[in-house]
Amino acid sequence: MTKKGGSSSLVLARRASQALFLLLFLFLFLQTEQKGADTLGYPVKLFLDFDPLLFLGALLASHALVGAFWLSLLTLLATAVLGRVFCGWVCPLGTLNTLVGSLRKWPARPRVRGWFPLKYLILVFLLAAALFGFQWAGVLDPLSLTVRSLALGLYPALNTGLNALLDLMYRPEAPFWRAAAEAASGFLQRTVLAFQPPRFFQGGAIGALFLGVLALNLLERRFWCRYLCPLGALLGLAGRWAFLKRTVSEGCTSCGLCDGACPGGASTGEGKGWRPSECMVCFNCGDSCPASAASFGFSGKPAPEGVDLSRRRILLAAAAGAAAVPLLRVAPSPRGGRPNPALLRPPGALPEEAFLERCVKCGECMKVCTTNGLQPALLEAGLEGLWTPVLVPRIGYCEYNCTLCGQVCPTGAIARLSREEKVRVKIGLASVDRSRCLPWAQGTPCIVCEEVCPTPTKAVWFEEVPGRNREGAEVLLKRPHVDLDLCIGCGICEAKCPVLDRPAIFVTSTGESRNPDNGLLLR
Amino acid sequence: MKTRREFLKTSAGAAACLGGAAALPWILEAASPPRPDLALVHGGTPEKATRAAVEALGGMKRFVSRGDVVVVKPNIGWDRTPEQAANTNPLVVATLVILCLEAGARKVKVFDRPCNDPRRCYEQSGIAPLARRAGAEVSFVDDRRFKETALHGQVLKSWPLYEEILEADKVINVPIAKHHGLAGLTLGLKNWMGIMGGSRGRIHQNIHGALPDLAAAVKPCLTVLDAVRVLTAHGPQGGDLADVKKLDTVAAGVDMVAVDALGATLMGKVPSDIGYIRNAADRGLGTLDLGRVAMKRIEL
Repeated sequence: MTKKGGSSSLVLARRASQALFLLLFLFLFLQTEQKGADTLGYPVKLFLDFDPLLFLGALLASHALVGAFWLSLLTLLATAVLGRVFCGWVCPLGTLNTLVGSLRKWPARPRVRGWFPLKYLILVFLLAAALFGFQWAGVLDPLSLTVRSLALGLYPALNTGLNALLDLMYRPEAPFWRAAAEAASGFLQRTVLAFQPPRFFQGGAIGALFLGVLALNLLERRFWCRYLCPLGALLGLAGRWAFLKRTVSEGCTSCGLCDGACPGGASTGEGKGWRPSECMVCFNCGDSCPASAASFGFSGKPAPEGVDLSRRRILLAAAAGAAAVPLLRVAPSPRGGRPNPALLRPPGALPEEAFLERCVKCGECMKVCTTNGLQPALLEAGLEGLWTPVLVPRIGYCEYNCTLCGQVCPTGAIARLSREEKVRVKIGLASVDRSRCLPWAQGTPCIVCEEVCPTPTKAVWFEEVPGRNREGAEVLLKRPHVDLDLCIGCGICEAKCPVLDRPAIFVTSTGESRNPDNGLLLR
Repeated sequence: MKTRREFLKTSAGAAACLGGAAALPWILEAASPPRPDLALVHGGTPEKATRAAVEALGGMKRFVSRGDVVVVKPNIGWDRTPEQAANTNPLVVATLVILCLEAGARKVKVFDRPCNDPRRCYEQSGIAPLARRAGAEVSFVDDRRFKETALHGQVLKSWPLYEEILEADKVINVPIAKHHGLAGLTLGLKNWMGIMGGSRGRIHQNIHGALPDLAAAVKPCLTVLDAVRVLTAHGPQGGDLADVKKLDTVAAGVDMVAVDALGATLMGKVPSDIGYIRNAADRGLGTLDLGRVAMKRIEL
């Protein structure tokens, strides 16, 4: 290892790994988009698949082993041997935290608040709540948090910003500017811009929360990773007895520089102490040591310090998690009660209870949704349904042949359906508002809902009626009706209805395949 | 040194030669039947039929000059595959692209403003991959490039239209023949809805009046109607293969109204029964009287 000033090859390797995984994460994020084919061609949910917290949360809540999450066992296994290398070398949020933390200058011995137990209590709380079917692990899971915040908040903001710039460039009529604008627009479209600028309800708040998490790094380096991250806590527990351990040799002068250099707050007592559960195996301590006394090696000896957690606190957090579940469910919600007409779930979504148990609110389905119609719920499905996907046809309809949301869902909350299966799933039912529909209310021809209806035999059909307009002239009107058997509730009729503000045809959740009780007809 | 007499002699000879050469096509034309303005090709592959149809009209050089920027405007309205006959046959489109490039076009652009997701429509219709391979510049419609255009029509006074169509040197319309719930049929004139911005669904309130207004603003040099597979019901989107009929036919013409009239007869209708065709003819955009157009029928 080299002396202070340069970086050792281990630290360089760690930084390269962080950069590589962050870039891979961002690349897969950008690929989470409709391209015209039936599949995406990239394993866009790869990071989520390796996340043991989402695995555990979904397992406890739904009592089922889900998806490709067995990959996350590899993460646990690696952690059991090497410690929290995931946090130090892989996690994209961890890397972003590192980057933001390096924006300010730190004293040689920065303050360590020492709130380490907090994240373990958060973990216990979330898992206890999950055990009672309340799935909130994904709200605080770092990967879910990052995907969601980027997808619903920061990426739409980036698109809005860049598009505003392009709009400015397009404004002058001069040919030179026009050519430059077209070149810039083409380049950005091919690289970072979304096909259509995405828009999400609550996107600003979700993005701001994420920026808040990043800003915490200015209080203390990797604040989130040290004190809040429930996945970090889970990996801390899994890595408690890791074989890769730090040793400090006789040459240590107790200068304390390693404590100051440690991003996890794992190095304590002027290098004498070491918390394996907080160590992210970044190798900064070795680099910072003027005496080259700190190093890592494999050993079976028990680590000097365990996790700072009392049994009483754990029990308290578990009890709080369990008690929170009924408390959070007192509000009237579609869970077991009257279905919410606006709660249109994506095609393949499990029955509401099972759906809520599995959905980790990662936002992948909303990111990939072809029409931007999938939006984060606020309270439509109760508090536990916060940020779960809801189709809002006025924003975007469900594209008939598209099956992408089921393909990217990491937990199977939205089942992966073939095209043939998908087009048979009803997510709701369209109704005509006869007081606003042009042929019904105004005696004016319009066939848009029928034209766009995608079912082979159209669910929207016409009743041809001779009518009279105000002048008394006879007009042949085609008045739309909806076939209850054929309508799949995709909402394209609502999205394309020329009555723009409050469409004259609209979809509600009745008739959805996943809930026979919410049907309309005698079956 | 030339004498004046010699000079006059050679000059007169040259003039006579030039005059004769200039008169030659006129003489030939008078001798042979008039050049057709409408072609109807049945049989063969879509590529061969398209080539034969354009050839019958005198070849692509009649329409496209060296250095032209050409827009080939197919119908890419729906997320459907070629077998479902909701979009223009991709082979017809690709063949036209090749013909334009062979005729010396500098650039051939292909685009449409679809009803379903554009990415899926472009890909699933087969048009984007095949047109691109043929050498076209295939692009999605950019909302910034719709330009409010005065139409001075009877129904449409002004509407945002796509700039690239208005700026192109030559425009070739390549519709598919389909059933349509309101208009009766969708053919060439209705294909111009694909260059409309804004809430274009509203024009359905007076579709037969609006389409001629729109068509008057775009002057295609050539219209090629794809009737390889046609939709006989549940149009314009279809989705049921039982509604698809294979006609193996491609029509091409100089007069956009005449091509639509021919398309109507192919679909078993009387042209004058389709409101927008009748209105377009009344407004002088072309003729629906097929007896007045020099037509060539080809069987492959």
